[in-house]
Amino acid sequence: MGCCFSAGSNQDDPKKLLIPDPNLNKIPTNGSDRNADSLPSNRTDEQALLTTILQRPALNIIDVSAVISQGLEQHEYMDRARQYSTKLDVLSRTLSQKKPVPLPSLSSQPHQVLAADLVSYADVQQVSKIAAYAYSAISQIKVDAKEELVVQFAIP
Amino acid sequence: MTTALTQGLERIPDQIGYLVISEEGVLASAGELENDELTAGVIMQMVRTACRFRLHGTAEPPFKRMSVMFEDYVYAVTISGQKVFVVKRQNNQREPVIV
Repeated sequence: MGCCFSAGSNQDDPKKLLIPDPNLNKIPTNGSDRNADSLPSNRTDEQALLTTILQRPALNIIDVSAVISQGLEQHEYMDRARQYSTKLDVLSRTLSQKKPVPLPSLSSQPHQVLAADLVSYADVQQVSKIAAYAYSAISQIKVDAKEELVVQFAIP
Repeated sequence: MTTALTQGLERIPDQIGYLVISEEGVLASAGELENDELTAGVIMQMVRTACRFRLHGTAEPPFKRMSVMFEDYVYAVTISGQKVFVVKRQNNQREPVIV
């Protein structure tokens, strides 16, 4: 199918880009340009619609690769490179300080500790009871609203 | 190296599986915990959290062994020499019968 680009439609564009884009208006076309006028009218309308759809993003796209760069002077470039690398050094120092805490050693006889008697049934029951009390206490925490939260200032 | 670690664990009474875990990963596993990286991960998280507890401003964690108790089995966990030892044991304890 391809895109028909009618010459008149792109000239009344009110927006001007900040950085003039040399690639603007270069919407891909094919050989069907010349036959645009001879197509039946609804076909041209469709083509015109498609063209407008394409033009909108084309106007909004800023092609970074096409922008002609200002060009840095050698000393400016070196200065910036130095600045960035010192900044990176500082950051990498602070990052490497965040080491995870090493595992403490709980015992020098792990097999003995693990083979020892299991927690007794009575102890487990006691712990469960204590946990139940704690849960019930926490669930009873509530806000006791004594006063209005929002008041009017009374200016005499 | 692993036999030194695991020999003692094998001989624990009524053990049905064990894991030896380091910071890098599972060093050894057997029985019902064989290749169980999922359980290893969960237990590592639990034990790291438990190690942060302190009693009355003491410097070390206040425990030697952490037990995760289920109805029929228990995971007993301890740490020694930068390695976490986990043993799954049968929990045969029931309510004492009063005769």
